[in-house]
Amino acid sequence: MSFFTDFYNKVFSFFKPQENVESNVKDVARSRLKLVLMQDRTNLTPKILEQMRGELIDLLSKYVELDKELLELNFEQEGDQVALMLSIPVIRAKDEKEIEEAIKKDALLKGIKLADDEDEPDETSEESEVTSENGEEITQTAEEGESVSGEENQESAADNNEEQAAVENEQTESSDNESSPEAV
Amino acid sequence: MSGRVIVITSGKGGVGKTTTSANIGTALAKAGNKVVLIDTDIGLRNLDLLLGLENRIVYTIVDVVEERCKLKQALVKDKKNPNLSLLAAAQTRDKSAVSQEQLKDICEKLKKDNDFILVDCPAGIEQGFQNAVAGASEAIVVTTPEMSAIRDADRIIGLLAAREEIESYKLLLNRVRPNLIATNDMMSVEDVVELLACDLIGIIPEDTGIISSTNKGDPIVNDEKSLAGQAYRNVARRIMGEEVEFLNLEEDKNIIGKIKNFFEKTIKEIKAKI
Repeated sequence: MSFFTDFYNKVFSFFKPQENVESNVKDVARSRLKLVLMQDRTNLTPKILEQMRGELIDLLSKYVELDKELLELNFEQEGDQVALMLSIPVIRAKDEKEIEEAIKKDALLKGIKLADDEDEPDETSEESEVTSENGEEITQTAEEGESVSGEENQESAADNNEEQAAVENEQTESSDNESSPEAV
Repeated sequence: MSGRVIVITSGKGGVGKTTTSANIGTALAKAGNKVVLIDTDIGLRNLDLLLGLENRIVYTIVDVVEERCKLKQALVKDKKNPNLSLLAAAQTRDKSAVSQEQLKDICEKLKKDNDFILVDCPAGIEQGFQNAVAGASEAIVVTTPEMSAIRDADRIIGLLAAREEIESYKLLLNRVRPNLIATNDMMSVEDVVELLACDLIGIIPEDTGIISSTNKGDPIVNDEKSLAGQAYRNVARRIMGEEVEFLNLEEDKNIIGKIKNFFEKTIKEIKAKI
């Protein structure tokens, strides 16, 4: 009897896989390509995208209370144009007082961070805020960004090259994009 | 007369640029157009082989550029069709032997007494590509429904879109295998078009006849029975401005699908009885 069931299973599996396993192959290819094409087109790595997401949450949290878990940041294609789609589930809008407080707190926080950075540059997120603080003077920012990452090169040899490259990339790209809203 | 200069490019190698050039060129010439094919893959020439003209080449594009012969002397006439001629690449030199300006100049001269100038581009996005694109105002991007070919095609489309001289670029999807699409093992034509966001000019099915036609040096468009040949002839008609429907490649998929469905149903019934 076991011979028959084995044989049956073999025959059945010959027809079956096209439903279970193989139906995924094309979809896997499609979604892998979709992601890789967006990265190719925009020159943004997943790490930088994640950082951008974090900074956007920080910025928007000053004005509205939002559901951070459900915030979606995607590149979408419409025709031959690539659009940055940001979907923000808003819990409630903050009132004027709260906004003012948040801005003050933010400015204070940055002031402290800036002072810290001059002593010991350690974290990538802090570095990026240095550039955005001084974003108004782009040339100066770029110089500072380079020198900071240079120091990092020497200090933390454990960090791999890729990470440092990403940091440098991020600094040059973020300098003009984020300067205006952050430097309020 | 002012001919149209169309570059045939892909980024990735081996997706069928040269085969496409030979077939579209032959089909356009068969339809009564005067056509010149230019092989810009200097150092790795192959278009002459596909056309069966390898023994007739006396002068190459490098000889023209270095003024060892006149442009007309370097044009090799096709065996079957006097409307079609080939400007071959040199085999002993490299891509730096011809500059963008020189290629542009050759295209301008050929425009005067030809309807179509098809430029067969080398693989890659370096100098060879830049040269080939220099004289063209239209482009056909050849790709296959595979990951790497699609990714490279996307790069090429980006580069073409950035060039002002390129007025239009279209996608030619080569080596499509309907049976693999039917089993969801290969991305469909719609998937590729959606990913690349580029208009289609042709869908060419995988055809073993291509191998024998290459071996014979006789483009498959000359084979009236071949499906790939039919698809290439349709591409030529679309280039000429005709509206031609895309071939229905899913027909035999349906037959295979029906047979499979039948077996699957029977097996399910047997299983239910057990």
